[in-house]
Amino acid sequence: MDLDLNVRKEGDHAVLEVGGEIDVYTAPKLREKLIELVSEGSYHIVVNLEKVDFLDSTGLGVLVGGLKRVRNHEGTLQLVCTQEKILKIFRITGLTKVFPIHTSVADAVSAAE
Amino acid sequence: MLPPEASRGDGTTVRLSFPPEAQLLGTVRLVVGMVARKAGVDEEGIEDLKVAVSETCAVAVTDLAWAGLDAPIELDVIIEPERFGVEVRDRAPAAQDPPRRTTEENGDLDDRQFGLALVGALVDDLATEPLEDGKGHRTRFWLNRRAGDDLPPLV
Repeated sequence: MDLDLNVRKEGDHAVLEVGGEIDVYTAPKLREKLIELVSEGSYHIVVNLEKVDFLDSTGLGVLVGGLKRVRNHEGTLQLVCTQEKILKIFRITGLTKVFPIHTSVADAVSAAE
Repeated sequence: MLPPEASRGDGTTVRLSFPPEAQLLGTVRLVVGMVARKAGVDEEGIEDLKVAVSETCAVAVTDLAWAGLDAPIELDVIIEPERFGVEVRDRAPAAQDPPRRTTEENGDLDDRQFGLALVGALVDDLATEPLEDGKGHRTRFWLNRRAGDDLPPLV
């Protein structure tokens, strides 16, 4: 089990492509990447969850932490997800009211501009 | 790292025993998902079970690590005609306050409590109690057949 993380730039946005399973074992890797992005000055982040097969509460906590960090710099953290099984986790926990969730990276980038 | 050991019990229970290591939770989810699929649980139910199992076992892994114990976690997958159950048993001391997983990084979100609330929302009849000898916990939950499901019998 591993977590794939790849970052690319789209204008002022850092797009973090996440693949694999986010759980108590792999979430620290995602946390470190988000911290790294913010420390490098990327305050507008899009996290693409389309290739995520599993997400648990630890992963949610890491995303909330990332949101808190970018907001400290008046930044944004947008999510991309169309998978029902992942969206269900956000709905149950009420985090759909916290995170802007988009159907594509293009939509997420344009929404944040 | 040892893989979970799966063995058939009386034909209605599949039992796993695995070391309390977080890197094994993906394998545990895989095994529970396979058993559930074979038993006729629908795909949405399988995903719900995976989350519930993973959250429950993550709490056990965290508690055991905090207590400095490496006693194996036992997990029963229980197949009944009208419902599908999971029971997780760990040997973490019951008397100690459980560690919180709240940090500045996760935005003061206690994802331990968050996780247990998530389990409660996904499955039915969630219950946690001390083991008979007082040395550990038993957490059990069920996935009841949903009204209108047109699935083959679980057994």
